[in-house]
Amino acid sequence: MRLLVPMDDSEHANLALEYALDNYPEADITVLHVVGAPSMMMGEAVGLVFENDISDAAAKRAEPVFERANKIASERDQDINTTVGIGYPIRNILDRVEKYDTIVLGAHGEDWSRVTRRFLVGNVAETVSRRASIPVILVR
Amino acid sequence: MVGSLLAIGIIASIFVGFNIGGSSTGIAWGPPVGAGIVKKTTAAALMTFFVFLGGWTVGRNVMDTLSEGIITTDLTLTAGVAVLFFIGLGILIANIFGVPVPTSMTTVGAIAGLGLATGTLNYATIAEIVSWWIVTPIIGFWIGGVIGRYIYPEVNRRVQIEKSAGPLLALDRDGTIPKPTFGPNTTWAELGTTVVVLVIGCYMAFSAGASNVPNAAAPLVGGVGGLPDDTAIIIATLAIGFGGFTIARRTMESVGGELSDIPLLAALFVMVTASTITTLLSWIGIPISLVMATVMTIVGIGWGRATRPITFREAVTRDTGEPEIVPGAITAEEMEGKPAAPIGEEEPEEVLKAGDLFNPRAIMKYISMWIIGPSVSTVLAYGFFILIPGVA
Repeated sequence: MRLLVPMDDSEHANLALEYALDNYPEADITVLHVVGAPSMMMGEAVGLVFENDISDAAAKRAEPVFERANKIASERDQDINTTVGIGYPIRNILDRVEKYDTIVLGAHGEDWSRVTRRFLVGNVAETVSRRASIPVILVR
Repeated sequence: MVGSLLAIGIIASIFVGFNIGGSSTGIAWGPPVGAGIVKKTTAAALMTFFVFLGGWTVGRNVMDTLSEGIITTDLTLTAGVAVLFFIGLGILIANIFGVPVPTSMTTVGAIAGLGLATGTLNYATIAEIVSWWIVTPIIGFWIGGVIGRYIYPEVNRRVQIEKSAGPLLALDRDGTIPKPTFGPNTTWAELGTTVVVLVIGCYMAFSAGASNVPNAAAPLVGGVGGLPDDTAIIIATLAIGFGGFTIARRTMESVGGELSDIPLLAALFVMVTASTITTLLSWIGIPISLVMATVMTIVGIGWGRATRPITFREAVTRDTGEPEIVPGAITAEEMEGKPAAPIGEEEPEEVLKAGDLFNPRAIMKYISMWIIGPSVSTVLAYGFFILIPGVA
C-alpha cells in the first residue's frame, strides 16, 4: 500500500503522519511538502524562481518539515520517503494521485487561523478530498 | 455641529492615514530594512518626509479627482466623513482577516456609491479610472516580465549588492574639523549601492504619498466647514508618519519579510517600476493602488525569470547537467562556479518546474480581491446613501 502524506508546518500535519504510521505500519509512506505557494506578495514563489538551482532551494526550504517528519517516523522505528513539490499545494497533491493508493491529510493546515489563504487559495484538505480520485483520510 | 462632525472626520482620517502608513512603509522600506541597509527609525523618518512631498505635489491631482471628479457636485463634509468610514471599514476588514483590501480602490468605490445613490456619478471619469485599473496590472506584469527575462540577468552579472560589517561612514576626528570618512569595511561600491537603495526607497515613499495621502485627506476637503487642502494633506501625512513609526515595525517584517525572499536587486527593480506606474497615474489624477502595482510587477518579474530563454552559451555549458529542457519551465541558471553533475550520478526523481509557481488560477484568486474590494465598497456606500439620504 502506498500512502501519500502531504505536510505543511501545522500541528495537524504531524497528526496525519502519526495516524498513517500507527495505522498502516506496513505501508510505503511518502511525505510531500510543497514550497512556494502563492501568497499576497508572491514573495516565496518569486524568491524560488530567482534561486540558481530551484530544486536545491526547494529542498532546503522543505528541510524543517522533513526533519520533523523523520523524527516522528524514527520514534516509531519506521521509514518514510520524502518528496518536495513547488507551487500550488492542491494542484501538486492532485497531480500525484496516480502513484498512490490513499492520501492521509491533516483536516486543516497552518492556514486554518488565517482567513486569507483559506478564503483565497481554498482549503487544501477540503478541495483534495472532493477532487482526488483515490480515497482521502482526513485526520482531526 | 459642523465642528464636531469635522472632529469625527479628522479622527477617521487619522485612523485611515495611520493604517496606510503601516502598510505602505512596509512595502517601501521592507526590502532595505530586511537587507540591513537602513534602520527602521530612519526608514520611518524618510517615509514621512517623502510621503509629504508626494502628497503635497502629485497627490493634489488625485485629490481633485476624488473630491470633485468622480461625482459632479463637490463632496460635502458629511458625505466625506461617511466615505472615510467606509475606507476605515475596508482597512478594518483587511487587518482582522488579513485579506488585502486596496485602499485607493475602496475609496473610489465608496465615492462612486455615493454618486450612484444621489445621481451625481460622473460616468466618464469612473470609466476612465476603471479602465486604468484594468490596464495597469497588465502593464506592470509586462514590464516586470521584460525585466525578469532580459534586463535582470544582464544587470545581475555586473552589479553586486553588498553590505559590509561595521558602520557605513565614520567621523574622522584627527583634523581640526571632523570630516566623514568610510567605515571600517566600506568600499565605494557599497556606498554607491546604499545610496541607490535609499533613493529608490524614497522614490517609493513619494509615490505612496502621491497615491495614498488623498485617500485620507480628500474626504475632509471642501464643502461647508471642510478643511483647506494644505491642512488636510498635513494631517494625512502626520497620520501616515505615525503609522510608519509604530505599526510599520511589524509590517516591515511581514510584508517586507515576504519581499525579502526576493533578491534585493530584483526587489529594487520592482520598487522602481511600481513607483513609476503609481506616480505617473497619480500625476494624471487616477487613484491607483501601490500594492497592486507592486504585486503585479513581482508576478511579472518572477514569470519573466521562470520563462527566461536559454542562451546558446549556457546551453552548451550545461548540457551535461540536466537531461531535458522542459518547455515553459525554468530553463536557465547562472553557472557561477556550479559544477555539472558527474555522469552516472543519480538524477533527482523529477525536475521541479518553475512554471508551476505561477498557477494562473491561484493568482486570479488574489487578483479577484482587487475587484471584490471596490465593488463591495460601492454597494455598501450606495445602500448607505440611499437609506440615509440626508447625509449626502
